[in-house]
Amino acid sequence: MTLIQFLIVATALFSFGLYGVITRKNAVLVLASVELMLAAVNINLVAFDVYLDDPLNSGQIFTLFTIALAAAEVGIGIAIILMIYRNRQSADVDDLDLMKG
Amino acid sequence: MEFADYLPIALMSILGIGFAGVSIFLSKKLAPHNPTPEKLAPYECGIVPLQDPVIRFPVKFYLVAMLFVIFDVEIVFLFLWAVRMDQFGWVGIGAVVLFMLMLIETLGYVWKRGALDWNVARRARNRRVVAPVATLDEAA
Amino acid sequence: MDAIDYHALLPEIILAVTVLATLLVDLFTSRKSFAAITAMIGMFASFVAILTLAFCDNLTFCTSTGDRVLFGGSFVVDGYAIVLQGLFIFAGFIVVLMSVGYLETDRYYEGEFYFLIVSAVLGAAVMASSRDFISMIVALEIVSGSGFLLAGWRKGDARSNEASLKFFIIGVLALALLLFGVSLIYGLTGTQVFSEIAAASSSVEDIALFNLGAIFVLLGFGFKVSAVPFHFWTPDVYEGSPPPVTAWLSVGSKGAGFVGLLSVCYLALPSVTEIWGPVLWLVAALSMTIGNIVAIKQTNVIRLLGYSSIAQAGFMLAPFGAAAATGADLSQTFSATVTYLVIYAVMNLGAFAVVIIVGTRVGSYELERWSGLNTWAPGLALSLAAFFMSLAGIPPLAGWFAKFVMFSATIGVGSWWGYSIAIVAALNAVIALVYYLKVLKSAFFDTVPADLDVATLEAGTVPGPTSFAIGLTAAAVLVLGIFPGLAANLGDFSSDFLATLGL
Repeated sequence: MTLIQFLIVATALFSFGLYGVITRKNAVLVLASVELMLAAVNINLVAFDVYLDDPLNSGQIFTLFTIALAAAEVGIGIAIILMIYRNRQSADVDDLDLMKG
Repeated sequence: MEFADYLPIALMSILGIGFAGVSIFLSKKLAPHNPTPEKLAPYECGIVPLQDPVIRFPVKFYLVAMLFVIFDVEIVFLFLWAVRMDQFGWVGIGAVVLFMLMLIETLGYVWKRGALDWNVARRARNRRVVAPVATLDEAA
Repeated sequence: MDAIDYHALLPEIILAVTVLATLLVDLFTSRKSFAAITAMIGMFASFVAILTLAFCDNLTFCTSTGDRVLFGGSFVVDGYAIVLQGLFIFAGFIVVLMSVGYLETDRYYEGEFYFLIVSAVLGAAVMASSRDFISMIVALEIVSGSGFLLAGWRKGDARSNEASLKFFIIGVLALALLLFGVSLIYGLTGTQVFSEIAAASSSVEDIALFNLGAIFVLLGFGFKVSAVPFHFWTPDVYEGSPPPVTAWLSVGSKGAGFVGLLSVCYLALPSVTEIWGPVLWLVAALSMTIGNIVAIKQTNVIRLLGYSSIAQAGFMLAPFGAAAATGADLSQTFSATVTYLVIYAVMNLGAFAVVIIVGTRVGSYELERWSGLNTWAPGLALSLAAFFMSLAGIPPLAGWFAKFVMFSATIGVGSWWGYSIAIVAALNAVIALVYYLKVLKSAFFDTVPADLDVATLEAGTVPGPTSFAIGLTAAAVLVLGIFPGLAANLGDFSSDFLATLGL
């Protein structure tokens, strides 16, 4: 296994995630796509960490922080989506059009 | 690879299976067991489903799942400390205890506000201010 | 293990304790105001701690002098950190003052409001000190995470819901882009600490990939500071959020983004100024122009302030982009940007405080409902005029000095990058006058809408905490306008550390 293989997987995941964020209409799926992007970042960080043989292992440590951040994001995101779903029985991003100008 | 290298994995598996088995066995043995026909009847029998049951999850599952994810993932910060525990010494233990205390405070907060309470009606009563649902055209 | 300099961490420690205390106080007391009081006491104590750090040289109990470097260079308390931490805590304090009055009239009270505000302040304060990517991103997420929840504070209000979800999606997208850039930069330099990245970046093998990482980081911050073309979420989020939260977002959250952008660009990426300099130049020019032009046709005061804040972000970036594109001395423009940020924060907070009072009393933030404000509340109209004219940059209010510093730093760069953006900025300063004065014309010279009852409007009172906030910011705007040296000192104080880096 070489570094480049990991980077290709990570970049592909990141692109899928970005595509999902742009095209998905359901807010939960947008959230899931963002999680894909964050997972790509994690793969990158760990791969670079191992490749560089970082004495501080800062890449792996960063990965743990990213995982925690992603979990916090999911918590906040689900709370917001639930709130919206309660009020309008839909979690469709395209419905967010009350404000214009 | 020697066979002995797999020993920890084997022990871990036995421990895991054993724990699950003992739990199931004990709950069977200890729980009161006096069935009546009503209790044995399937829960949803006779009622025609109104909607596709797949998309309808009660909100409380999301709430518990959300809290679980948050508290579960906080464990990763213990990894950082655990791998270098011997070098950090008492300072490290103090820091981790502080961290856990913060988590416990949050857990206590969640508990006191009734987010862990599965009785939704009681949770609504415990809430100090019940926010009215505003109409869609309410000015910002 | 090195001993930890707890004095340097004291402001953050106090804020963290305040966060926990606010939560507990809210849980175990029934009076609404206790949580707010706890938050304010905590922020005040933290501000005092920052003062002791700032005047450390003159204090007897203070043993160490100069910049304090903690955790292997990840966390630094220098002039820059002290000025901006002070600014964020001041902003948080003013926002809490505004919120007390607002939340009492609002139906959606919950004690966590203050908890979230103090968390956001804590995140912003850590942001100012963080000098590596890990602590910076954690700090950024504390700021934005609380921001998402605060934006959706009015749970039953569809606009607030919408603001919250939009802000959230944009926020996590920006985070993902930022993190991807960081992972590339880490992979090429092998470190997360800014100073080490700067040292390693000159010998990077694959400079194209490094530039790509830098661009991703800039993209992420572009969303956070709501610069054009990443601004489209800003007006909607500002309009939908409860107004005190909007005040925080436009000052604290955006300021934290700026702090991150400044630290990353100056400390981590000085070797690739030719990449981010022109990008920021373009972003600054676009932000000023589009923000101002769209602001002219706004009818809602909060949206107008939203576009105005986009334009002001452009003014802040202008010297910064011009100097980097030229490759000139960066410390002068750094000082200018910080000075501008400080003055902008004070006047924008004041403007929001007045807008909230008038808006709740009239029951609308539409400009046409505000006409004739002068007839029923001359005091409010006068302070509105003061803050808006300051935002427009009219002497002797503080805004003129911010603009002056910005222009002199931009022209001081001495290249066509600087001159051209100075011309763009000058044109925009004139355009900005149009909409600021439009609000004032409506407030002073138009007649009160017929269906508004002047007697009830006159009878309304300004809540004590909010009037204190207005007084404090108005005094600051006047003092900084008449004695501009004060703000300039802050800016210089904050950029002193650049001299040691040889920038």
